[in-house]
Amino acid sequence: MTQPSRSGRHPVITWGVVAVLLAVGVAGTLVVPLYARTAPKLGPFPFFYWYQLAWIPIVAILAFAAYLLTSRTSRTSRGAHRGQRRRDE
Amino acid sequence: MSDVNAVSFTILLVLFILVTLIGFAAARWRRADSMQHLDEWGLGGRSFGTFVSWFLLGGDLYTAYTFIAVPALIYGVGAAGFFAVPYTIMVFPIVFVFAPRLWSVCRQHGYVTPADFVRGRYGSRGLALAVAATGILATMPYIALQLVGIESVLTVLGLGSSSNSFLKDLPLLIAFVVLAAYTFLSGLRAPALTAFVKDILIYVTVIVAIVYIPARVGGWTHIFNHAATHLASVNPKTGKPFGALITPPAGEWAYATLALGSALALFMYPHAITGVLATARRNVIRRNMAILPAYSLVLGLIALLGYMALASPAVNAGVKASGGNAQLAVPLLFEHIFPSWFAGIGYAAIVIGALVPAAIMSIAAANLFTRNIYREFFHRGASPAQETRVAQVVSLVVKAGALVFVLALSKSFAINLQLLGGVWILQTFPSIVAGLYTRWFHRWALLAGWAAAMIWGTIVAYRQPVPGVPGSHFGASTAVVPVLGHTAYIAVTAFVLNLVVALVLTVVFRALRLRDGADETEPADYSADPVDAPAPVPVRSAS
Repeated sequence: MTQPSRSGRHPVITWGVVAVLLAVGVAGTLVVPLYARTAPKLGPFPFFYWYQLAWIPIVAILAFAAYLLTSRTSRTSRGAHRGQRRRDE
Repeated sequence: MSDVNAVSFTILLVLFILVTLIGFAAARWRRADSMQHLDEWGLGGRSFGTFVSWFLLGGDLYTAYTFIAVPALIYGVGAAGFFAVPYTIMVFPIVFVFAPRLWSVCRQHGYVTPADFVRGRYGSRGLALAVAATGILATMPYIALQLVGIESVLTVLGLGSSSNSFLKDLPLLIAFVVLAAYTFLSGLRAPALTAFVKDILIYVTVIVAIVYIPARVGGWTHIFNHAATHLASVNPKTGKPFGALITPPAGEWAYATLALGSALALFMYPHAITGVLATARRNVIRRNMAILPAYSLVLGLIALLGYMALASPAVNAGVKASGGNAQLAVPLLFEHIFPSWFAGIGYAAIVIGALVPAAIMSIAAANLFTRNIYREFFHRGASPAQETRVAQVVSLVVKAGALVFVLALSKSFAINLQLLGGVWILQTFPSIVAGLYTRWFHRWALLAGWAAAMIWGTIVAYRQPVPGVPGSHFGASTAVVPVLGHTAYIAVTAFVLNLVVALVLTVVFRALRLRDGADETEPADYSADPVDAPAPVPVRSAS
């Protein structure tokens, strides 16, 4: 089941993109001065609270994008190396 | 026992019995040819797919302690307690990176515990023992805290009010004996299957709570305004404000390091690694990192229950009557706001939410003891059946130990040890995670870094007084960082010390040409994705 890497995407570039996605996922709530404030409020919710809660779906999307990217890269590289796999996916 | 609410109690009891039946039936679920192998009892046959793993890992992330302690912290000090939200956000990108490598190498070599990996990677029994002992030590108080969570529900229910101390502890005792019995029989399959019920109850309770409660206590605007006013007022015990609605600049370092340190530490806990190793395929882990944040959302909403409790005069009166035990805030909120039948469901969510992680934790601790202490130091040629038998017995011992902890020692002692557990477990990070990428570190340098950080972290934690009680100990998880001057999570400061010592000593030991251990892993092992579980034969018989 060898899949030629589409559009010539290089694994190193893919991993770079994944690293950026994940780094953003950590940094978004690690840099506390970004969001330690009351305004702007979302309804009755101070910024501090809704900003952090909003990062939960964002990190899920980032992780999903990273998952899609890595699963494609590992599939192409593994397919190229071993020519076996794909059974229960 | 006259003031026990019969409706709430009956619903709690029925749901408890349901979970018990499922726990026993789990032994037959996806039954293997032989349960007498640690891969079966201790890792559920390494067979869990995305769906089951989501529930199982959710059970790790998300325990009664989160349900009780996080809102209690918010109730007490406000914004500082909300660090649990960024903590459960950051954990996913971090785990995404290293967990698949750990899974692959463990699958290739049949490793059951993180210490197995360290043993194989560094050829060091000492370093593996350090990792295993740290894991067991950090897990015990964690289990004890699950009991504290159950106890708080029983207290609010009126079951803990008997003057006879045996009768008072009886319900907790029964719950734990039942849990011990089905964990003994079914192994990891029991928490995996009961986690379904647990999560349905928790999701239902939280969604209903978040929709129903705010209107009953005056609406969201009132909840936040009330919290802001209360937190800014002066606590007569300390002479300082109770807390703040928004983390003040002085608290930013503590907030960020608590979140980051906890996120780094979470998947060092043996029970979380057990959940990772029990997955069937490498990709299951990464897929789960995209869907596990659903639990973080629940956690964030639960955290806000703390402010809702603060806005309810009945809850405040109840907490005051208990001598200021904020752990009761959420159960009291359920009692006063919900109709008694739904309060029963909420109580069951907390109790079952404690039993599931307690089961996984005791299994993980038992795996560690069996593989890295019993097998390594007492019985080299132990057969898989012997290993399984030992692990089953140890899972009972671990639970009994946790029970003694909570019943015989003070509750605050258990909480102190839990605080230390977080500081300790993070110190296994360099050996495990750095080891997944490089063999550059010298095994003795890692051991020295671990020891330095353990000792330093314990001493610093010991020196922190409880606010308003001079001369007391283990009062806070944060302390002023030497040199830097900021207040930060002790675990993170100790972790930095750990890394520095390991780095420097590795350079020194390499210069001295000190003998390094043999590495039995291959670079390809770390990205392998075998479809079948390893053959059930002892793997390291040659060493």
